[in-house]
Amino acid sequence: MSDLIALAAGIAVLTGAGAGVGIGMATGRAAEAVSRQPEASGKIMTIAVTGFALAEATAIYGLLIAILLYLKIGG
Amino acid sequence: MDSEALISKMAAHSYEINLFGIKIPMSDSIINMWIAMAVIIVLAFIFTRSLRKIPTGKQNVVEVIVEFINNFSKSNFGHHWRPFAPYFGTIMLFLLFSNIISIFNVIPTAEGLHKITGLEIFEHLPEFEISPPTKDINVTATMAFMSIVLLLISTIKIKGVKGWLKTFVTPLPLMIPFKIMEYGIRPLSLCLRLFGNILAAFTIMELLYFAEPFLLPGVFTIYFDLFDGILQAYVFVFLSSLYISESIE
Repeated sequence: MSDLIALAAGIAVLTGAGAGVGIGMATGRAAEAVSRQPEASGKIMTIAVTGFALAEATAIYGLLIAILLYLKIGG
Repeated sequence: MDSEALISKMAAHSYEINLFGIKIPMSDSIINMWIAMAVIIVLAFIFTRSLRKIPTGKQNVVEVIVEFINNFSKSNFGHHWRPFAPYFGTIMLFLLFSNIISIFNVIPTAEGLHKITGLEIFEHLPEFEISPPTKDINVTATMAFMSIVLLLISTIKIKGVKGWLKTFVTPLPLMIPFKIMEYGIRPLSLCLRLFGNILAAFTIMELLYFAEPFLLPGVFTIYFDLFDGILQAYVFVFLSSLYISESIE
């Protein structure tokens, strides 16, 4: 049973892939925007940071599920 | 490191403090929060003594911090910025110090002290390690709850009860369930984002300390403890101020 739980925890962490793609795209677009309008870099920065935080949330939820499953193995 | 040792590192420890015969259970996140608070209070006391009209030396540092916080709340809240600036400044400084507190973890543990000095006293001390208090979900949940309570109070105070009830139906009456759900989802995501990031960074650093204690943790601690801690403190404050400014407009 604990093998299956460990496998499930591994699968849960795959949510990181989506967050990685999202943050990568956001960073790319932010860099593009700054190169087009360097004077707006402050505003672009705050928007980009918000985007990272929101994209990252999915990965964090996956991590949380993985941790909860991992704690199941011990007990 | 086996899984049990890792889990015991990740979980909150509990200590018993004996106060006049009453035993009070204390988790280590409370003690770490006390340490962060003590550092902030001492720094605030040192930096704000003998303030002058023309700033010199250390007063410049404080003025930069205060100006940053004031500009931050001015750009978010418009002309309502005044009452929000002290709250968000406090939250920002507190989260900053609690997130990066583990870089000050240079004190050896009780076992280490016993081995180095050979003194008997150290053997009976409880095991304590400086770790970020925000890796405990109770701390971050409290922070997120405070943010959502502030959102409710400020919205009702600025818009009045009628205006607050109107926000539920602003674009369409169809939105009511989603607007009600927002009051649960927003603090949940605020809480879990901070908790998950800090716990993940802490766990990765613990694994690194175990796997390769030489030189490598020193490089990675800059990213995982310093950069991630500062970024997450900023993101927490920024998102909660974004929610509030959206709601009071």
